Amino acid sequence: MAFSLPLAPPLPAQGWKVKIRDRERNEPPHVTILHRTRAWRFDLRSGGFLDQEPDPKDVPGEVLAEIGKHKELLRQKWDEMYPENPIESKEEGDE
Amino acid sequence: MSDPLFLLGKRHNGPFDRLSRDVLGNVEAVRNAYAQHSRARWVALDSEALVLLASAVRAHDRWHRLLLLERATTARRELLHALFRVVVAPDDGVRLLAADELAEVMSDERADDLFIGGVVDYDDKALLLYRGNLDRLVIPLPWFEPRPKAARPDFAAFAVTDFGQTIQFGEYEAAADAILYEFDPEARRRMKMREIKQDTSFGGALRRLRLSRGLSRSDFQPLAAKTIARIERGEVEEPHGDTLTAIAKRLGVRPDKIKSY
Repeated sequence: MAFSLPLAPPLPAQGWKVKIRDRERNEPPHVTILHRTRAWRFDLRSGGFLDQEPDPKDVPGEVLAEIGKHKELLRQKWDEMYPENPIESKEEGDE
Repeated sequence: MSDPLFLLGKRHNGPFDRLSRDVLGNVEAVRNAYAQHSRARWVALDSEALVLLASAVRAHDRWHRLLLLERATTARRELLHALFRVVVAPDDGVRLLAADELAEVMSDERADDLFIGGVVDYDDKALLLYRGNLDRLVIPLPWFEPRPKAARPDFAAFAVTDFGQTIQFGEYEAAADAILYEFDPEARRRMKMREIKQDTSFGGALRRLRLSRGLSRSDFQPLAAKTIARIERGEVEEPHGDTLTAIAKRLGVRPDKIKSY
């Protein structure tokens, strides 16, 4: 089941969403910030944006604060949904 | 940038009004627009627009694509299919975005990378998706396989949501960019160009492709997980011969395509 982070008002009414969907481009682990026709991938390992476009500056600080506040929950959800690409643990073959 | 967009029919003060300053209202204007552009998108706002199109357009030698906002009779649809390369219509089983989202997606400069709707073909186990540029993309339904502990896709509950950025099958959701990354090499190239940091090595591509397939390093037997790890980290030369063939076969791509991921 896709996970959608409940955001504090007024962000949902403004059209902001933060999601981990069942099928994502899944490397590296990330959440997707959605606003109308635009989307930003936010790295759950480094805490930075994965793409130069759209401009990361267009994401309100309030959205990033919500992600920061629920970082552990988001990391847990990612690991549940993508166990073959976990956030921290080593993979088979790593030395 | 998407192809030019022409509106046909009467203004309704609806969301599509902002897409184009002028609504083409007579045969001559439609004929000229069709002749002047080798590729264009057309939106028929109502049934009167279809009468206009049928009167004005004669050829079918160009990349013109048409979106109907109202249902059309079978005969009329067949006629339009003879005149346009692609006809997207709200027919049985076709699900489209709500009108306001539809208008916003089609006017977006990234319309090519957003979906406006689609239809599930159960017999052929395929999903036909329509993009904001009115091109089509076919996705095999098995690609949406459920992950461990995840909801199963309910194909009867198909919808396009989030302004064309999410494909929904009930509680299951797939990202539009994940679909495009997998099935459209041009979109994949655009996405890779937008990334802040990109490991362009064979190993980086192998890792991305392996994870997108939900495979672990131990899924490449008889190759050892340690071997796959060393290739991904660039500690050995790019594989070739039987090793490359075995890796590509497990990933389900041609050997020469691995680096494009």
